[in-house]
Amino acid sequence: MSGNGSLGATTPVRRILALGGHEFSSQPPDRAVCELLLRLARERGGERPRICILPTASGDTSELIASFYSAFAERPCEPSDVSLFRLGRRPLALRDHLLEQDLVYVGGGSLLNLLAVWEAHDIASILSLAWRQGIVLAGQSAGAMCWFEAGITKSSGQPTAAAGLGLLGGSLCVHYNNEPDRRAAYLDAVGDGMPNGYGLDDYAGLLWEGEGTPSALTARRGARAYRVSSREGEVVESPLPARFLPAPAPAALREDIAEFRRIKTMRKRAGWLG
Amino acid sequence: MKTAPRQIVAFGGGGFSMESGNPLLDDYVLGLTGAERPRVCFLPSASGDADHYIVRFYRAFSAHRCEPSHISLFRREQGPGDLRRHLLSQDLIYVGGGSVVSLLGVWRAHGIDSILREAWEAGIVLCGLSAGSLCWFAEAVSGFHGEPKQLRGLGLLPFSNCVHYERAGARRQAYHRFLREGMRGGYAAEDGAALHFVGEELSRVVASRPQARGYRLDAAGQRVVEMRIATTFLGDRDAPLAAPLPEALSTAPAAG
Repeated sequence: MSGNGSLGATTPVRRILALGGHEFSSQPPDRAVCELLLRLARERGGERPRICILPTASGDTSELIASFYSAFAERPCEPSDVSLFRLGRRPLALRDHLLEQDLVYVGGGSLLNLLAVWEAHDIASILSLAWRQGIVLAGQSAGAMCWFEAGITKSSGQPTAAAGLGLLGGSLCVHYNNEPDRRAAYLDAVGDGMPNGYGLDDYAGLLWEGEGTPSALTARRGARAYRVSSREGEVVESPLPARFLPAPAPAALREDIAEFRRIKTMRKRAGWLG
Repeated sequence: MKTAPRQIVAFGGGGFSMESGNPLLDDYVLGLTGAERPRVCFLPSASGDADHYIVRFYRAFSAHRCEPSHISLFRREQGPGDLRRHLLSQDLIYVGGGSVVSLLGVWRAHGIDSILREAWEAGIVLCGLSAGSLCWFAEAVSGFHGEPKQLRGLGLLPFSNCVHYERAGARRQAYHRFLREGMRGGYAAEDGAALHFVGEELSRVVASRPQARGYRLDAAGQRVVEMRIATTFLGDRDAPLAAPLPEALSTAPAAG
């Protein structure tokens, strides 16, 4: 097995990165998220870490899988996907493949379906083992809430409380200020006895490294992580200080931008543009 | 409420998913509804609600011959809010192919399993191919991923089932082995053949291809008795509907 996660003497550090919401686009905040995923994977797997997406919650949509590959194909890593709905076309030793990874990324979608399909294929126990072996677990939206005891899902239409795998104690609500109805349902649920937890805006994240409290991260100005807890019948929401993740422009893109600016300047000079 | 018989049509493979340009099996199930403009709901759950599959359903079940709809369990924010009400208002529920393990998992999570039993008992015709066939039976042989495996279905039909049946195929070999190891007897269907059950009885086998057949299989000690069933080819308009009588019998000993 690769990396520092499996050295017999030391207990591997258990790491989970929960993200409130993002895509695999070429926009700066999405690039910043990809850089972070790559960095975490490299800390375990070295120069060319293995990164696998589990797009189960989306129903293994090709859009998500394609955007994941186009984001990581240009980066130094070995990307792969485990599509449980597509295994017929491309058989794969599930357990071996997942346990060979440095980072397993879980995509968004329906939390209810995600957990149901994982249960049917017995994936949860593999992921729990992966976590204990130091493989980084990461994900956004449903792919972030699944690690907690509970979350707020729209899997059945309206936002409702749902249980997760419980690798992390407490609860999580994603798309926090981006979806006010979800946030409202979360505040109600915590008031009604759901375990205390966190709210994450799109492009905000929380990183657990070992025991203790997580560190908050943000890839977009204004995107925040919140601690949400019930105290004496009142739900308190407090923003957490977060580290900003800058988005380095890839070299190829910088060339493109320079070229575009040259053309724009020429057009302006020629009076084509206002 | 009308007292219609309980009906399930289990395709070994075929219909719009696999036989583009050959609508015989799809026409057959539409005809069973007895409705002039049947309400047809497609459940693509086994494919993960793949967009291209949903589009193909709407093209095949166009609005001039029926009232089509679908339910995406991965996109509940769209589509009908009350799943039970929507499903129980249909004439035909059509289940697509894909991963039967994932299908059953997702259905359980949304309570679809019990709604489908209700629909069946209310006389709504249930049909499907591949995973959409296996799901109705008590036991099934799934060859979707790697080695064929045995698994439990919804159990509306108290038999075992095997799809995409082929003489020299790995599924047939595995099915025979499972039967010898104690799997209950049941039915297999080749691509293009469909098993039509009324209540829990096989009423007839129909086919969209002249050579496609259905089979009855039972274990007798260490032998497997495989009976080829007389099948009606739906492309021959004048052919009377055949009773599901044995056409040929074979037994495969333990070594098979």
